[in-house]
Amino acid sequence: MKSQRSKFVILIAAVALIVFGWLTIGTEEEEVPYVSIAELHENPNRWEQRRLRLGGLVEAGSIVYSADKLSVDFVMVQGDDVLPVHYSGLTPDLFQDSVEVIIEGEFRDDVFAADNLMTKCASRYEVDAGAPGTDPGTNN
Amino acid sequence: MILLGSTSLQLALIFCSLALVSGFINLVKRDLRFSLVSRRGLMVSAFLILVATLALVHQLMASNFSLEYVARYSSAATPTMYKFAGLWAGMEGSLLFWLTILGIYVLLIGYLNRRRNLSLMLVVNLVFATVMLFFLIVTNFFENPFTLLPPGASSRGMGLNPLLQHPVMLIHPPILYLGYVGFVVPFAYAIAALVTRHMDANWIRLTRRWSLLPWMFLGIGIVLGGIWAYAELGWGGYWAWDPVENASILPWLTGTAYIHSVRIQEKKNMLRLWNVILIMSTFILTIFGTYLTRSGILSSVHAFAASELGIWFFGFVLLIILSCTILVILRKDELTSQNRLESFTSRESGFLFNNMIFVALTLAVLWGTMFPILSEAVRGMKITMGSPYFNRTTVPIGLLLLLMVGIGPLLAWRRTSLGTLKRNLTIPVATAIVATAGGMLLGLRQIYPLLSLGLVAFVFAGIINELFRGIRARRRISGESTLTAFRNMVDRNRSRYGGAIVHLGVLFMFVGFTGKAFSTEQELALKPGENTYLKGYVFKLDRYYEVERTNHRAWIVDLSVSRNDRPVTILRPERRIYIEQDSQVQSEVAIHSRPLQDLYAIAGGIGGENNSVALKIMINPLVQMVWLGSIIIVVGTLVAIWPSRTDQRLKERLA
Repeated sequence: MKSQRSKFVILIAAVALIVFGWLTIGTEEEEVPYVSIAELHENPNRWEQRRLRLGGLVEAGSIVYSADKLSVDFVMVQGDDVLPVHYSGLTPDLFQDSVEVIIEGEFRDDVFAADNLMTKCASRYEVDAGAPGTDPGTNN
Repeated sequence: MILLGSTSLQLALIFCSLALVSGFINLVKRDLRFSLVSRRGLMVSAFLILVATLALVHQLMASNFSLEYVARYSSAATPTMYKFAGLWAGMEGSLLFWLTILGIYVLLIGYLNRRRNLSLMLVVNLVFATVMLFFLIVTNFFENPFTLLPPGASSRGMGLNPLLQHPVMLIHPPILYLGYVGFVVPFAYAIAALVTRHMDANWIRLTRRWSLLPWMFLGIGIVLGGIWAYAELGWGGYWAWDPVENASILPWLTGTAYIHSVRIQEKKNMLRLWNVILIMSTFILTIFGTYLTRSGILSSVHAFAASELGIWFFGFVLLIILSCTILVILRKDELTSQNRLESFTSRESGFLFNNMIFVALTLAVLWGTMFPILSEAVRGMKITMGSPYFNRTTVPIGLLLLLMVGIGPLLAWRRTSLGTLKRNLTIPVATAIVATAGGMLLGLRQIYPLLSLGLVAFVFAGIINELFRGIRARRRISGESTLTAFRNMVDRNRSRYGGAIVHLGVLFMFVGFTGKAFSTEQELALKPGENTYLKGYVFKLDRYYEVERTNHRAWIVDLSVSRNDRPVTILRPERRIYIEQDSQVQSEVAIHSRPLQDLYAIAGGIGGENNSVALKIMINPLVQMVWLGSIIIVVGTLVAIWPSRTDQRLKERLA
């Protein structure tokens, strides 16, 4: 009885180990580092050719839509750091000057080519409330 | 009214503290007076919370903008029903709403047990009081919905976020909360069982319905969230592995494992420790989820704003984990069961295996969700896990689960002989082979969709076969008609057949998930009169025009769809401008739903070069199956929860 029980425990432990390894090993391709614009400019080679995620504000007045409105260029700011962004796709509804956005894509030739653009909707309502005109704070 | 609300909230805090303190004194001293104070204090506190909520609702309906909360989430022009939805639109209100639901559960459980399970209820109430006290402290001192605007300031109201102005948003949060909060009930009973050393299956029988109900509500809530994302956010999907979504699926996964594994404790009095751990994890994950969405520690598109609350919630979660661990260690001898597994091919081991898969699924999602925090702590860099990770891990685990849905019910309790197993498996396996071969003939080549198809057929045949054999057996013995036989059979074992119906719903959902792998999309700009082709459909932009409505202005695009020169429908995606909310733009998706596929269109920028409209059109196969599947799951759960006629007869005899 005892030996069968320990066999069972060993079996479960082995399965758990395999599952854990399968979950955690070889995930580099799926990892999307969250970097700051400063980090990106400091060491551009390190970050090229891999998927990245950045958060920041849309610089007021920087939004330029393409003629067919299927893509957009804008400048993302984090404090004093700026990053030109090109995004192809329909822009989300809340995308406009000074909103907080999260972008995903790759950094190529000094421009960030984003294929995913998300706006943080709720926070605008929370932070802006009662004091229109103030910057929505970043919370990353 | 504002005074009534804030005073009720403060009094609720006082009564709740009173209930907690006297409850503890009673636990130590066994003094009946303290037990009465504890019970009544808790009930009064719950009642006062309801009063406070009604006061806030009244303020929202009356559009009293001197209240900061009302000014932020409502406006005079907000449609009435969405004024009500303001209750859960913001941080303060949503926390009060959490308390409201808790209060309702507390009052219900208290009322139903006013003369029963008294010793157990003392501890149950103590757990309720602890949780309630935490949220009362938060709403009273940190996020008070009854805060007035600073003197001198005035507001006409910001209005409810247009994204939240969708009918689903009226029911999604309440139902989700009914699920989230409801798990506190089985959790409280588990703690009570541990404290009072009644660790047999009694607490599990008492909470059978109170675990199925929150489980069902949480599931409906999650699906409604998906429907909202699909119909409102306009990216064409219903699930994005966003941290907030993950936070809601985690307790659902452990909860699902729990409602399965408690069946073994009911039947065989095994797995006591495991069940206690599962319900504890589920409850901890609900609090953790409430915390995740409000702390701002994970960047999510639809999280609340960051707040100072994080540390308090984190502390509370730690406190729960710590107390649970200590309690389990203190009772570990009583938690080990005498019965052992007799065979690997038994219903018990089937349930066990099912549980291990659910735990693996929970860990996979948890790992991916927490990865940004873990990687920051270990590698000093915040790294997000993309959806490729979640798809790689959850899809195969999900398919394995589907296999177990098919095999589990075919296994007999204790042990299944190889002959029986073979006999039970013949029809399902044959069906699976036929379905897979059919799929390949139709040109299906990808491995996961093929596997999914085969497994769905396998499980489907198993369930139908089981139902028919049951009906046939009854008919042979009693000579009933097929329908009567079916009704009596289900009534005799509601858990089992309710479960079978739920599994049928799960199949439909898997069909829907598989279909999503085949959606196609196109992003393009069309001028009036131009058209495009997608999968045999012709989408033609007829025209676009402007319409003035009560609280917004809308640009409407007429997109006529035809196939083989026959008109199918006209899709009318809209682009709305809400003047009141700083001219916020909001796109309204147009969906033409059919059982087998959805035609989906969303309008981006209007009036580009030469009056073009930027469009995204999609064809999403089988999405409706996901919604249909969830309805079947609800039906199955209700069948399982409904009192059987034998129960009722028993009650009548006792009365």
